[in-house]
Order: sequence, then C-alpha cells, then structure tokens
Amino acid sequence: MSSFTTSWQSAGPSLDECIKCNICTVYCPVAAVTDKFHGPKYSGPQAQRFRENGQPQSPDHSVDYCSGCRVCNEVCPTGVRIAEINTRARAALAAQQGIPLRNRLLGRSDLLGKMGMIAPGLANFAMNNGLVRAVAEGVMGISKGAQMPRWSTQGTFAAWLKRSAARRLKSADKVVYFHGCSTMYYEPYVGQAAVAVFEHNGFEVLVPEQGCCGLPLLNNAEFAAAEGYHERNLDYLTPYAQQGYPIIGTSTSCTLTLKEEAPDMLDIHTPAAHDLALAVWDMFEWLRDLYQAGQLRTDFNALPLVLPYHPPCQYRAHHLGSPVMDILTLIPQLDVRESAARCCGGAGTYVYKKEKYQIAMDVGQELFDFVAEQGADVTVTACTSETCRWHIESATHIPCRHPIEVLAAAYGLYDLHARRLLKE
Amino acid sequence: MNTNTSRGEADLLVIGAGLSGLMAAWQAARAGLRVHVIAKGAPSLHWTAGTVDVLGYMAAASATAVADPMNALSALPGYHPYSLLGAAQVRAALADFLALTEAAGLPYVQGDGNWLLPSAVGALRPTWLTPQAQAAGDARRTAPMLIVGFSGLRDFYPHLIAENLGKQGVPARAAMLPLELISTARDRNAIHLAHALDEPQRHQALGRALRQLVQPGERIGLPALLGLEDHGATWAALQSAAGAALFEIPMLPPSVPGTRLFQAIRRSLRDLGVRVDMGIEAIRSHTAAGRIEWVETATSARPMRLSAACYLLASGGVLGGGFDSDHTGRMREVVFDLPLTVPQRRSHWFRAEFMHPAGQPVFQGGVAVTAAMQPCHPDDPAQPLYANLWAAGGVLAGADPIQERSLEGIALTSGWAVAQALARR
Ligand code: SF4
Ligand code: SF4
Repeated sequence: MSSFTTSWQSAGPSLDECIKCNICTVYCPVAAVTDKFHGPKYSGPQAQRFRENGQPQSPDHSVDYCSGCRVCNEVCPTGVRIAEINTRARAALAAQQGIPLRNRLLGRSDLLGKMGMIAPGLANFAMNNGLVRAVAEGVMGISKGAQMPRWSTQGTFAAWLKRSAARRLKSADKVVYFHGCSTMYYEPYVGQAAVAVFEHNGFEVLVPEQGCCGLPLLNNAEFAAAEGYHERNLDYLTPYAQQGYPIIGTSTSCTLTLKEEAPDMLDIHTPAAHDLALAVWDMFEWLRDLYQAGQLRTDFNALPLVLPYHPPCQYRAHHLGSPVMDILTLIPQLDVRESAARCCGGAGTYVYKKEKYQIAMDVGQELFDFVAEQGADVTVTACTSETCRWHIESATHIPCRHPIEVLAAAYGLYDLHARRLLKE
Repeated sequence: MNTNTSRGEADLLVIGAGLSGLMAAWQAARAGLRVHVIAKGAPSLHWTAGTVDVLGYMAAASATAVADPMNALSALPGYHPYSLLGAAQVRAALADFLALTEAAGLPYVQGDGNWLLPSAVGALRPTWLTPQAQAAGDARRTAPMLIVGFSGLRDFYPHLIAENLGKQGVPARAAMLPLELISTARDRNAIHLAHALDEPQRHQALGRALRQLVQPGERIGLPALLGLEDHGATWAALQSAAGAALFEIPMLPPSVPGTRLFQAIRRSLRDLGVRVDMGIEAIRSHTAAGRIEWVETATSARPMRLSAACYLLASGGVLGGGFDSDHTGRMREVVFDLPLTVPQRRSHWFRAEFMHPAGQPVFQGGVAVTAAMQPCHPDDPAQPLYANLWAAGGVLAGADPIQERSLEGIALTSGWAVAQALARR
C-alpha cells in the first residue's frame, strides 16, 4: 500500500476545486472581527486567479492579516487549501516589498532563543519591562501587550539532558524526540515531562542533533531561509527515520511542519522528505497508537481537576481527531473539557505584531469566554501549542500547560504546578 | 508502522455531517450508543434554505406541487427510499426532528399540508416543515406582503421578488432600507450581518424603520439574516418593534437558516457527548468476512484508521461529494466502493434537456439498499453486502431529491431509521 497518497491536495491545484460557497468566510475567525481582512475566499482562491494571471501586483494586501489558523481548510467542503494559498501569497508579497526586521526576528525562534539564553534573567527582565516593551512597540512594531515567552533560568533542555545522562533509561525500544525551539530555550520542563513519560513506558529516548523546523520563517514569508532549516533537519533526522525509529514531537506545529508544511510549501518532495514525514508523530498521536496496541501504561493516579483543553489550530490540521482527549480522558477524576473555540487568536507570531494584537485578542474571546464558563475553581488549562499557551495564559491569567505535563503528573512523575520532575 | 489508529470505541461511526448523519447520530446517542461523526468539511446544510422538504413534486409529474406529502407517499414506486421505509417511519422521524429543534431552541413548524414559501427570486417552494421565522411567508394565505431589501446587499432584490409573487397571485410590494441599519462594515456576508443583528440596538433600529414602512394588514418579508446565535429572541423582538408579522426569505449561499440548523444540531450532539470532527476525510475501508473492519482517513502524513462496531455512510452522493468519477465517467462510491446505480458513462448522466420532467439520471442513481437501509447489490435487494454497514441520505438510490424536493425528508427519515434499527439490536 502506498501510504503517502492522502487526498489532501497540495495548495496549487486545489484552487480549482473552489465552488465559491463562502463557507470558509463564514467560519474564518479573523474576518469575523476585522474589516482589514477580506476573508479566505476572497484572499485565497479568488485573488489567486489574479495573482496567477500574471498581474504585476497581488490585488489586495489584506492577505497579510490572515493568521494562518486553517479554520477555513477544515470547513471547506471541497478541500481547498486556502491557508496555504494565503501563505504563498504572503511570501510573494514579501518578495516585492521586503520583510521588516521585526518579522525577520520573530521568524527566528532559534536565534532569539540562543540570544536570550546568554543572560536569561536579564532578557526576561527586559521583556517584562514596560519601558523596553514600549520602545520595542514604537521602534519595531512588536505589540507591548503580548506575553513574551520567558527564557529558561534553569538552562536549556540540552543542558538538562547532559546533566541527567547517567539517570536516563537504556532500552531496546527507542524513540527519537523532537523538542523544538520552545522546549530547548523556554520550557525545558515540557521536554522533561515527555522524556519521563517515554521512559515510564519503557522507551529509551534519543535526542539527536536537530534544528528549528522552520515554521516561524514560513509564516513570516522567509521561504529561502526556511528551506535551509528543513534541509538541515533532513540531514540530521532522515537516517533515524530510515532505521525505523519514530520521531516524536511535543510541539504540534513543529510536527505538522515536518510532516506536511515544509515539504509542501517548499516543494521538497524528495524520497528523504517523504521518509521523514512518515516517521514523524505528534506526541499524543503516538501515545494513542500505543494505547490502541494495548501497550500504554495506565497506572494513573487520580487527578481531581477541571481542565479546559484547547485543541490548537495546528492540531486540527493534522487531521487526527483529538488524540489528546482520547488519552487524557483515561485519567481518573480528571474532568477534561474540550473547547470548541475556533482559534485562541495568538496564531504563532501573529499576536506579537502591533497592528494585529487587538485582532488576536478579539479572535480569542470565544476561547477566553469558554475558560471563564468552566467556573472559578479552574486552576490550570491545557493546550499543545507553545505560543497558544502563552497567549491563553496572558488573556485568562490562568496557567496553561502542555497535556504531556498533565499526563506526566498523572503518572506521579511530575509536579504540574511547579513544573518539575519529582525524581530529578 | 504505516497507519495510525484512533481510540475507536464507538458503537457507530457516521461518515458525513449532513442532515442524515446528524439525525442518525442524535437518535443513536439518545438511545445510549457511543457515536462519532466525521466529515470532510462543513456539510451542504450551509447552503440549503433551512426548510425540510419532504415531497414537493412527484418525480415525473407536471408543475403542480404536492399539497400533502403524507397522502402522496403511497403513490411512489416501490424502490423509492420512502417506500422502503414506510409512512409510519417517515412520520415518526419528522416528529422527532420537531422535538429535536424545539429542544435546541430553533423550533420548526408543520402546517396543514405543504407550505408554499417564497424563494429569493419570488418562486414558490413547497415544503413540509419550516423554521418558525419563515412560516408567515406562506403564499397559500392571501394577506398582502411587503418585501424589504437593503441597498448594498447583493443577491436580494425585493422588487423582483414582489413582481414575481404578484404574477403568481400573491399581492406584494417592495421597499428598500439602508444596509447601514445593520452594519457599517463593508463586504459583509449574510452570516456576519445576521450576527450583527443579534445586537438589541441594531434590531430595535431596524424594527422602528419597518414600523414606518408597513401598512395595516401587511406581513413583511426580509432576507434571512434575522439573528444568528440569538435568532429566536432577535426575530421576536424585531416583530414586536415592527408591529407586523415578519418572515425570512432564504438567500443564496452561505445560507443563514441552514447554518443555524447545523449549529443547533451540533450543539445538541455535543451535549450528548457526540464528537463531530470536521476536516476528517474517509478515503477507503478495509473489509473481511462480510464486515467492515475499519475506515481510513487522510491525515497530514500516514492515513488514520477508525474502527467502530457499525458504520453509517451518509456522505451525500454526487452533490455531497460521496461519489467521485474518473475522466471516463465511471462513478464510484469513495469509501466502501459500493456498487452504484448511476449510469457508468458520462454521456448517460444527463438528458439532452436539462429541465427534463423525468429528471437527470446522474442525480437519481446511488447506493441500493435493503428495506433496513443496508447497502446491497442492486439486483439482490434482500441481501446486505456487509453485516455492519448502513447508508442514509443523499447516497441512496431510487429517488431524485432535486426534482422531487425531497432531500431533507429522505435524509432525516433514513438517518433516523438506521439509528432506530441499531438501538434495537
Ligand atoms: S469554502 Fe472552499 S469551496 Fe467554499 S468558497 Fe471557500 S474555498 Fe471555495
Ligand atoms: S487561515 Fe484562518 S485567518 Fe487565514 S483565511 Fe483561513 S480561517 Fe481566516
């Protein structure tokens, strides 16, 4: 069986499938709150016709306001990949107009991560200092209201791995862990929780050299740089894929990029890219499979919590249903409530752009209301995407955790509130 | 590992989130079954008028509308889905639909016989159940109509509607109001406008403007955008502010009444704990020993396997995307590769005359089923092809829902009947 022939068409040809029903516009959360964006049908398949017919300029610049959330793709009855058409249009626009320094910076989460780690305490102070943020907004257009990630003050994830090398499990069953930039520099504890869950289930965790998946660059229209990043990951990771190791990530946007976005947007359809895409799993997708095979340990402690969970847009773009719900609902006394909100509004680096900050807050209102409706005793929420977690936290003032932290806590391995492993 | 499995504990996996799939899911979940609904995208409910057509015309008959479908069902041929299901099930299913919509806060009403409701061009649509906000448009009543449009709102021309209604003997006149009464944002579609009208200030302002226009004894027809989430309250408040009966006329897609119905049923399903996953496209299935073992869906990488005790194919046929064709015109059912009664040559899909009274073969063909709605070979209607597979709605053979105006009635009844049969097992 050829297992790669999914029918989700690549963005180009899918254009012709548009039947102009406008359902995408009905559900687009950005078009619903602002006049600046003309909606998916208009910016996507409709405007694309003009772009393709050799028009000197794309007919509208409003496509820059598309947040890339892909709600449109999900509801389109004929499978048009509108969000991808928009991403390409943004890249074409950038090629004409240049990319502002701000977007170049926001696109380089690995670079930002490394810079902050030189003096994380100072960097965090600066990022949370009103004056610094006001200057950043005035000079660069980085919205001062958006919550910046906090650089880890306990060292990087790689440093922790090194420190704890002697304690790591050795096993014949091995997995490769893709940590992504946020786990590396900002939230090493997410990676620690993941490692603990793997080991609890008897898997040795390999963390080979790896780079940023390139998604922030794609979203900020830097296709050439993103291509370099993806090629590097192909070099690093394909050998593992070809040896049959699953490559598992905790960041849903990284895993989506490795599986589909990068090969598609960059037209890298080599056998290596194909092998890598097929070896990549999202953490909960893999856990669900393990459960289905009867191999997931279910020695959970009760976790008496009401937990509002938001499936981020990128998760839905994996087309996997809701593996997180499938697994978290196994935990005794955990009352997980899945949000039906379309998008948290943050949309990666979108919320950090001054002109889009209010839109991001308005889009997220649906979700923030949902969280509030779950009652005053909610002490924690969950989401699989890092940038969404930061945005949700800043809007709701309630800590937002990765579901893997919740799972590690249920195994009795992790303190959900202090965000640290219990036995390290 | 090449595939990927979902937790898959469902008793029933429904493929398709149109009326047939949603009705089956609701009925089965009420009976205590665990149900999971998947759909490739948003269902075609989003572009229907939101009414429930049961039988508007006899397939090959003249232009006269059916007055009372309940009296006409017995005249349908034996292979027609209504004939397979029987009048008692049709009535029971429609009664349950009324209960469902009532409980969901979007009540539908049944008249004495088919309603005759105006379309966006002023033609008359015979339909059996209507959302309450369309009922006052019944053209069998003689009260004069005032049709009100909005300058700048595309695809709704009150003068055209009034003129066409007049030609059909319904006294009607037209008037225009500024769209700014509803929204000053530009380039809004009907859904955004409907959402805007939910705001009390806006619908009060519109109500006052209507009161100025209306003459005693008139009822007012408006484009179908009278509220979205709070539609019931918005419509009632508008009506009392205007001091006249108001009715909605459905517009071109995206349709507000259809969207409301989808969202109302989806909410009811969520309350029953039923997942409705969109963006999940079934692409093939695996069968063994006369049973469906699993269905495969497309993902961002390897296909995903979904398994359940029973499967319902409610993917909508030619119009809903449940059938696909190659360049020669060989039409196939996508998920289970079921035999179809659709002509297998493109040249035989359509008659030369598009409005031919006998309808178009391509819309009449579909999946043949047993009396219990289980797919079978067209020549062997007693023998199900798979022990755990059912079909409902637009995929069914033996009807011409477009010509007959029977789309929603067949969908609701067949979906309901499958759920009843499963609940009894
Ligand atoms: S939902 Fe899909 S088919 Fe409909 S207008 Fe949008 S892109 Fe076109
Ligand atoms: S990706 Fe999101 S913001 Fe962009 S057009 Fe689609 S629905 Fe709208």
